[in-house]
Amino acid sequence: MTDPVEGLGRNAGAAVLILSSLAGGDKHGYALVKDVEEFAGVYLPPGTLYQVLARLETRGLITALEADERRRPYRLTAQGAAVLSEYFTAQQRILKTGQARLKRTWTLA
Amino acid sequence: MSTTSNDTRRAERLLRWYPPAWRECYGEEFVDHLEQEFADRPIDFGRSVNVACKGLVTRVGDAGLSNTGVNPSGQARAALGTSFALIALMVIVMLDLWSRAMGAWSSRTYHPLPVDASTGVLTAAMGFLLLVLAAVVSVVVLCAARQIVRGRARRLIGPSLLASVSGVFLLYAARIFPSLLAPYIHGAHGFPGTRLSDPGQVIANLATVTWELTQRWVAPWNQGISPLPTAQSIIDDCVPLAMFAFGIALAMLIRRVELPRVSQRLVFPAVVLQSTLAAVFFLAYMAWSVFGGPSNFEYFFPESRWLGQVYLVLLGLVPLLAVRSGLLARRYQPQRKPNHIEIIGSGGTAQIS
Repeated sequence: MTDPVEGLGRNAGAAVLILSSLAGGDKHGYALVKDVEEFAGVYLPPGTLYQVLARLETRGLITALEADERRRPYRLTAQGAAVLSEYFTAQQRILKTGQARLKRTWTLA
Repeated sequence: MSTTSNDTRRAERLLRWYPPAWRECYGEEFVDHLEQEFADRPIDFGRSVNVACKGLVTRVGDAGLSNTGVNPSGQARAALGTSFALIALMVIVMLDLWSRAMGAWSSRTYHPLPVDASTGVLTAAMGFLLLVLAAVVSVVVLCAARQIVRGRARRLIGPSLLASVSGVFLLYAARIFPSLLAPYIHGAHGFPGTRLSDPGQVIANLATVTWELTQRWVAPWNQGISPLPTAQSIIDDCVPLAMFAFGIALAMLIRRVELPRVSQRLVFPAVVLQSTLAAVFFLAYMAWSVFGGPSNFEYFFPESRWLGQVYLVLLGLVPLLAVRSGLLARRYQPQRKPNHIEIIGSGGTAQIS
C-alpha cells in the first residue's frame, strides 16, 4: 500500500488537516489555522503552516490564488482532492480493521 | 482586528529567519498572518521558536541540503553552489594532506601496494577535483562577466565583489608559488630539473611546492616552520577563510547567474563529480592514514592534534553534505520526456514511437 501523502514526512498530519480544510473552500493562512483549530482542535503554528503550504504547492496539491491585499488564499487542486480521497480510503480501511479486531478481542463496557 | 506598528516590527523580525527567496515568495502574507496571531495571542514563546526553527530548516533547504527549498527546479544549482563552498572550505587542507602523502611516497623506494594504491587514488581524486573546480569557476566567472557587461548585474554585484576581493587576496597570498616552483623546474636542491617525460617526478615536485605553500596556511602561527613576521602570519592564517569566502561568493553566483543551456545541462553532472571526488579523497586519505604511508611516522596533522581532529571532522562532513546535496538534486532533476506520443481517440489509444 503506498502512502498518498508520501514525501511529506513528519508533516503528513498537518498536510492532511490543511487539505481537509481547503476541501471546504479557498482560505488564506490565518483562516486555515482557525478552521483547523475548530474542526480538529489542533493549533498549527505559523512556521509549520507555511512549511507545509510550500510543500503542498510544490507538489501541485494546492494552488495559490491572486492575493487580496496581503492575504493570499489557497485552493485545493484536483490532484490534491484525489490524494486526500485516497488517503481517507486507506485510513478507513485501517479504522474498520482496527475497530473489528478491538470488538472481537475486547469487550468494553 | 487592529494591528500596531509594534506587531508589524515583531513579525518582520521573525521573518528574517527565512532566506530571501522565501521572503520574496511568502513574506507579505506571512507578516500579515503573524500580525493576526499577535492580536489573538500576544505572547507565545513556542510560536517564536517554531518560526525560528522552520526558518532555519528552510535556509538549509535553500542551500540544497534538505528538500524544503522554495524552488525545487533550482535544487541542482543550489547543490552545486553548496558543495562548491564546502569543498572550498577544505580544499587547502586537502592539498596539504595530499602533498604530505605524495611527499612521503616519493621519499621512499619501497612502496607496499596499499600505499601505492591509496596515494595514487588521492592524487587522481585531487587532480580531477581541482579540474572540476577550475571548470566551474571559469564558466561562472565568464557568464557573470557577460551578464554584467550586458547591464543585468543587479543581483551579481555583491557576490562578484566578494569573489573579486577574496580572489585577489588568495592570489596575493600565493604570490610566492612561482618562486618556490622555479628551482624544481630549472634544477636546484640536487635535482636535475623537471623533465615532462617523467610525470612522476613532476607530480612529486608539485607536491613538495604545494606542501611548502599550504603548510603556512593550515598550521596556525606557522607551527613547525621557520618564524615569519606577524603580518605575514596573519595573512597566511586568513587564507582558508578567504578561500571559504570565495567559495560562498561563487555559490551565490552559481545560483544567480544566467547560464547558457549547455552549461545548465552540466550542473547536475558537476554536482555528482564534486561530491564523488570529495568522498573518494576522504576515503583514500583514511586508507592512507591506516596503512601509515611508507615512512610510518605521519599521522593525521602531526603539528596540532586538536586542529587535526577538527580538520578530520570537517573533512568527513564535507563529502557527506556534498553527497546529500547531490542526492536531493537528483530527486528534483527534470524527468526525460517520453519518446512517443499518445493519441487518444474514440477507437482506443495508439502510440507513435
